[in-house]
Amino acid sequence: MANLNIDSVKTRTFDAIVIGSGASGGWAAKEFTEKGLKTLLLERGRDVVHVKDYPTTNLYPYELEHRGEMTYADKQANPIANRCYAYKEDTQHFFAKDEEHPYVQEKDFDWIRGYQVGGKSLLWARQTQRWSEYDFEGPARDGFAVDWPIRYKDIDPWYSYVERFVGIAGNKDGLYTLPDGDFLPGYPLNAVEDYFRQSVNKNFKNRHVISARCAHLSEPQPIHIEQGRVKCQHRILCQRGCPFGGYFSSNASTIPWAQKTGNLTLRPHAVVYSILYDQESGKAKGVRVIDTESLEEMEFFADVIFVNASALNTNLILLNSKSDRFPEGLGNDNGLLGKYVAFHNYTARISAEYDGLLEYRTDGRNPAGGGYIPNFRNVDRQETDFLRGWAAAFGAGRSQIRDTNGIGDTLKSALLEDSKWSNWRVHSHMMAETIPKEENRVWLDTDKTDKWGVPLLHIAVDYAEDDWQRRQDYYEQMTAMYEAAGFTNIRTSNDGRRPGNDIHEMGGVRMGHDPKTSLLNKWNQLHLCKNVYVTDGACMTSTATQNPTLTYMALTARAVDHAVKSLKNGDL
Amino acid sequence: MNVNVINRRTALRRLLYIAGGALLLPACYRQSGKATIEMTNLEIEEEQENLLAELVETIIPSSDTPGGKELLLHLFVLKMVDDCHNPEDQKAFMEGIVAFSAYAHEATGQDFMEMDADKRLAFLEAIPEVADEQVKRFYAITKRRTIQGYMNSKYVMTDLKKYELVPGRYNGYFKMT
Repeated sequence: MANLNIDSVKTRTFDAIVIGSGASGGWAAKEFTEKGLKTLLLERGRDVVHVKDYPTTNLYPYELEHRGEMTYADKQANPIANRCYAYKEDTQHFFAKDEEHPYVQEKDFDWIRGYQVGGKSLLWARQTQRWSEYDFEGPARDGFAVDWPIRYKDIDPWYSYVERFVGIAGNKDGLYTLPDGDFLPGYPLNAVEDYFRQSVNKNFKNRHVISARCAHLSEPQPIHIEQGRVKCQHRILCQRGCPFGGYFSSNASTIPWAQKTGNLTLRPHAVVYSILYDQESGKAKGVRVIDTESLEEMEFFADVIFVNASALNTNLILLNSKSDRFPEGLGNDNGLLGKYVAFHNYTARISAEYDGLLEYRTDGRNPAGGGYIPNFRNVDRQETDFLRGWAAAFGAGRSQIRDTNGIGDTLKSALLEDSKWSNWRVHSHMMAETIPKEENRVWLDTDKTDKWGVPLLHIAVDYAEDDWQRRQDYYEQMTAMYEAAGFTNIRTSNDGRRPGNDIHEMGGVRMGHDPKTSLLNKWNQLHLCKNVYVTDGACMTSTATQNPTLTYMALTARAVDHAVKSLKNGDL
Repeated sequence: MNVNVINRRTALRRLLYIAGGALLLPACYRQSGKATIEMTNLEIEEEQENLLAELVETIIPSSDTPGGKELLLHLFVLKMVDDCHNPEDQKAFMEGIVAFSAYAHEATGQDFMEMDADKRLAFLEAIPEVADEQVKRFYAITKRRTIQGYMNSKYVMTDLKKYELVPGRYNGYFKMT
């Protein structure tokens, strides 16, 4: 028996444990296994094997029972998931269902989750922009949150490292507000997006419209072919999972790559209950896991633990990792764990029409989606009443006008004929920075748990007055830019979405210099428990305006490099 | 052998093909008086299903290409109303289909099923102007779902307005001719 136990502990001991298999967790697994560490990758959901487990990927619209629409019963059962733009009949199997995964909304908050191997990397919008020096300097300059313990130069080489492997389509735009990366050829702007770019250049100083940068293989390199991925085929059915591996996901890229090393143990159906702290060594020794199928509780051990469970679940796990030394959660002496959660304000839109360039339309589909307007507000100096700024998506298109007023033969021919094309319709949505605030926070229920006995998460995160100031500025500036381009019928709108629906929740375990005011150091280690690293959205000190996933991946690769070197030096 | 039964069977087979086997087949093809597809919320009689078939056929008639009835758009309408509409819509639809029959008789002195194609067309064309709210609402739901079902049918997406699953290209300056 004794031997059996020793063997059992041995088989449950690894060099590294990674919690979560989404974009950042997949990167941690890839880096550790490539560097020769036996790595356990834990995922709370089921396995999703690239291509094999994409059941809808090749379906035509008429093969979907409701042509893509969700049923009324599903909308009633899962109102949160149904408010996500990507939750449709062909993708719904990759979203966590409200009923199965409850949480407590102290204030309205849409927590959109992807509980399977690959996590939300299967579902993401694939927009990838680097942060600039100004984004990292923001909090210190403007006096909010705490100073980032890193600067652009610290992450620059890791951005490149990640970009080369992921494959990012983009142009070298030469903007100091949005640094260029190691790009594959960018996707082009269309006639009116390009026209708007020129108009903005001509009429506004320091404002730019560029091709959106995205994680698609516009021209695969040998490193991508080696992953088994080929050129993006412009299907734009990405969230079903891509049989070409045309966009980056853990499933198509980092996880199979890690598996090829022979060093990866992937364990789906494993909900992490807590991280186990060893008082004697002053380090974490492993994790407690609940197998979601057998409900069996088990422990796994490793020298180093990466927490990549998705921003709010990472907060949950750390808060639930209580010990005599850390009664309020792992590394939480200062009581700031779970606080200063922030997100992106996506509530604003602006649309218009353009009657020029009618000799053109588009043909095929653009994987990048169109244009991107990097933040130009308060970049190198404070110039408005509110702090920080906003970025915006911009796109233009034409559609066929069908007259559906008639019936009978009239209607039938109206539906089938090569009908008239509309004029150009342009649209934009805002992606605004939010300021991390102490009252925007999450905490654990003391009583209620989910079906695996994990305490429910309370979420109290809301907009504040400054969010509406930034939005007003977006409306005003974009309107001016539209007017200068001669667009007509300009309409601004508030889409009323709840926080969380941007799916960019960040913070709660922020990085900083000082253990008194932050949880993580400049290497993403818990100040007070150095062999635990957090490199998903939870680590973010501020939010900037960029889509954040690229930054999580770069921070992860950088942190694994540090962890492996520290293990070798005997520092961990 | 009843010709209608054969048609219904052929139709059912085609339906299963069209819907990718997604629709459930009742235990037997015909349970007298009942609809051909299983529904959760709507209780549709065979007669009402037949009426709906003629209605979608009038909205999108067969010509040198198939029309609404052959493409089973009436079953698509039922499927969508049954699964995707809220209970209020479903109630309106059920009341509307009854009101529609009554209104047809009242307005023309003839049952909708007895009218010839031209008369059906003329009757439907007048609905938005003259019919009561119940009939209008039923007709609006039916028409919208019929158009959707038609444009998203395998036939139209394969043979008439080809849907490209894998375009493999993007041209932002496509010159109009």
